[in-house]
Amino acid sequence: MFETFYPQLIGLCTGALLLTSALMVWRHSLLASIRLLALQGIALAALVAVIGIAEGESELVLVSLLILSVKGIGLPWVLAHQSKASIKQIQESPRLNPTAALLAVTLLTILSYVVVSRVFGLGDNETGHAAPIGLAMVLIGFLLLISRRRARSQLIGFLLLDNGIATIAFLTSGGVPVLLEFAVSLDVLLVVLILHVFTGRMRTKFGGTSVDQLRELHD
Amino acid sequence: MTGMEAGLLLQTEIEAGLIPQTGLEAGLLLQLGLGALAVLTALTAAPFLRSRAVGILCTLIAVTGFLTGLVAMLGGTGGLRISIALPMDPLLLAPDRLGGLFMLIVSGVGILVSLYSMSSTHGPDASRTAWVAMPVFLVGMQLVPAATDSVSFLLALEIMTLGSTVLLLADHASRATVASAGIWYSAMSQLSFFFILAGFAVLAAASGGTSFSTPQAIEPGPANVAFVLFLLGFGGKAELVPLHVWVPRVLPEAPSHVSAAMSGAMVKIGVYGGLLVCVRLLPDGPAWWGIAIMVVGGASALYGILQASVSSDLKVLLAYSTTENMGLVFLGLGASLLLRGYDATAAADAALVAALLLAVSHAAFKSTLFLGAGAIIHATGERNLDRLGGLGARMPVTAAAFGVASLGAAAIPITSGFVAEWMLLQSLIHGGRLDGAVVSVTASVAMPLAVAVIALTAGLALLTFVKAYGIAFLARPRSAEAAKAREVPPLMQLSLALGALFVLALGLLPGPIAALVGHTVSSNPSAAVQSIGLGGVSLPGIGAVLDPIMLVVLSALVAIPVIVSIIVSARGHPHRTVDLPWGGGGSRARPRMQYTATSYAEPLVRVFDDVLKPSRDVQVTHVAESRYLVERVRVEQRVSDVFETRLYRPVLNLFQRYGIVVRHVANGSIHRYLSYSFVALLIVLIVVSL
Repeated sequence: MFETFYPQLIGLCTGALLLTSALMVWRHSLLASIRLLALQGIALAALVAVIGIAEGESELVLVSLLILSVKGIGLPWVLAHQSKASIKQIQESPRLNPTAALLAVTLLTILSYVVVSRVFGLGDNETGHAAPIGLAMVLIGFLLLISRRRARSQLIGFLLLDNGIATIAFLTSGGVPVLLEFAVSLDVLLVVLILHVFTGRMRTKFGGTSVDQLRELHD
Repeated sequence: MTGMEAGLLLQTEIEAGLIPQTGLEAGLLLQLGLGALAVLTALTAAPFLRSRAVGILCTLIAVTGFLTGLVAMLGGTGGLRISIALPMDPLLLAPDRLGGLFMLIVSGVGILVSLYSMSSTHGPDASRTAWVAMPVFLVGMQLVPAATDSVSFLLALEIMTLGSTVLLLADHASRATVASAGIWYSAMSQLSFFFILAGFAVLAAASGGTSFSTPQAIEPGPANVAFVLFLLGFGGKAELVPLHVWVPRVLPEAPSHVSAAMSGAMVKIGVYGGLLVCVRLLPDGPAWWGIAIMVVGGASALYGILQASVSSDLKVLLAYSTTENMGLVFLGLGASLLLRGYDATAAADAALVAALLLAVSHAAFKSTLFLGAGAIIHATGERNLDRLGGLGARMPVTAAAFGVASLGAAAIPITSGFVAEWMLLQSLIHGGRLDGAVVSVTASVAMPLAVAVIALTAGLALLTFVKAYGIAFLARPRSAEAAKAREVPPLMQLSLALGALFVLALGLLPGPIAALVGHTVSSNPSAAVQSIGLGGVSLPGIGAVLDPIMLVVLSALVAIPVIVSIIVSARGHPHRTVDLPWGGGGSRARPRMQYTATSYAEPLVRVFDDVLKPSRDVQVTHVAESRYLVERVRVEQRVSDVFETRLYRPVLNLFQRYGIVVRHVANGSIHRYLSYSFVALLIVLIVVSL
């Protein structure tokens, strides 16, 4: 029963990951991006759970719960922890228009498929076939980093990049030990907290969080 | 504890390196310890005590270095081994005879400078930073000749450079030119350091070790590369053309005692490096090495003295004269290399000894001259010769010391400079022939050319120092400051007098010193140079003898009767004063009617117009009523350094343009930097998947 659904479940989860990534590039509203990030975290957790059940490893299920709590709930909550009213008003004015950005996403996805198939080989199982999605997420995260002006939007790009790395890890090697995953997740949480506080300070200090204005080099 | 146990304990302590075994080790340890103590004292001492306390410690450092150098030069062995945490051989400081000689030179200048600086420094020159840098500079300089592996050599060299840079910058707050000089100095010394480092790297790769004492069997290819790198590196340290551009900026801007130490001692480290390479590291080099060194040396000598002769700034004059002297030293070194290649050993040894003697005598007279210039600045606040004059009567000790040192710099008999240049000329004149036969076409072309260079240099040097001494100390004061000058404090007088005495001693008794110097480089010293008569010097290999004391006695025998008879006959006629009926303008002579440094050198500027390329600016102010009457004429003449304007400026401009372009590429935008890494990542991915 599960074996017949397994390839479809993997496809569904990775498809959700790629779709949320692309939508994040398309949508300009910060609140929408945060919601998409939460969705992506849930999809990632589901992917890990599916792999764990298929491989019969209970440890991976534990990891999936951890991911769900950190990436699906914790991080989005931290990012959105502000009055909804003010966060709704924050609109990103990216350096790349949506059409060009979606075109770039397509090209990056194609590139990652080409790279993975030529360099590493796609492998013959379902997870191997889906591995390029992870690389595509990393590249899209990078694209977000360079195309977004606001510090908080860049933070989302950074998290997308991190999700991409995690996806590659789970799809190619069946994930990392639970202790390591725990440590990495805590690290990311800490980084996000620090950057969040930093962005808040930036806004109170300069009135805006546009990274473009941080061009002067100081001693 | 029995005696035997005590002996055993002493033995273990010696083996553990706790007790110095030899005099050399003790001397080196003492220098390091005194250096640390001096730095601590400079940091903690109260301002009114600082100069005295640290000055005394610096003098002690220099005296220790002097004694250590003496022991090493007389053939003492042993050394200091410093184990380090890095995975390589321990640093070994063990000066050989040649290293001992240079340690002696450097610390001799150090003694003069430390004594002088005790009472000369004030204001920013006596700041805590400057006094911390002073012992660092001295110790670094004294340890360079002691190094026996490239790591410790480079380490000591950098310590020396660091100390001197800080000392140079002592007065940066009050004058903007100091900062510019500091930048030039740092850039040029790091350039030299880079070349030296690269040279040692090539040597280490070719010979498989960093120690100087490993047998040198190096292929001609790497050896040639290393030689060129070393020539550039040590040439820069020794102020040779075209790497001399820092000299006329740095030496005038540094406090005078620092410029004395730099010109008198630090520059000798460049000479030591040249000798180290040609004598110890890469002996028996091909003939073109000698020719290359001779060309660089000759060009430096001519260019240096030419610039010095037209300069009207006393310290710039002395700085360029340093380039000249170092050029002559390298000319001697190159000639010795060339002659040794043709087996003219006697002449080669004589040329090498002459080069070393020139280095020793330059250390003596140039540090005295710089200290004298410092005394003039101390007394008048001026270093522009055009505004000095008449200091001889007001500052007799300074005038006497400066005069003796000027004689030395102009290579006049009974001073050290004469002995060295005489010996160099002897070796060059006799070097072209061996037992009556011509040794080679190259040598018979190169030697007369070198003689011509030395002759021209000597003539111009005479002119230069007649100008320096005559304009500054004789005639009438050309400014109010010069008219109000007072003699400097006794301690400064003492170090000036010591320097001048040494110039005279080396000139009158060259024999013993030349024989000692001969031991440091020659395999058969008694055949190369000997001491004869009353401190005279003899070069048995080429059959030349110089005995200054005999010359002095002989000339006194001739002169005394003449002088006595003149005095006796003058007694016979009473002195009459006659009022001149018409003075021809002479009775109303004013200071402005005298020769100035600029006007004295003006014919020379005309003669060498093509080389010096001076820029002249004549402003004529007319009387308001008529343009046929002139109220005043103002003439300004600047002689810039051709190498700086033609060679360095274009290169610097190129770098500046590159810098402006790069500023657009890296403009501080985070997005731009992120894009760079993104694009780089994409390119890598595309390339690996192709």
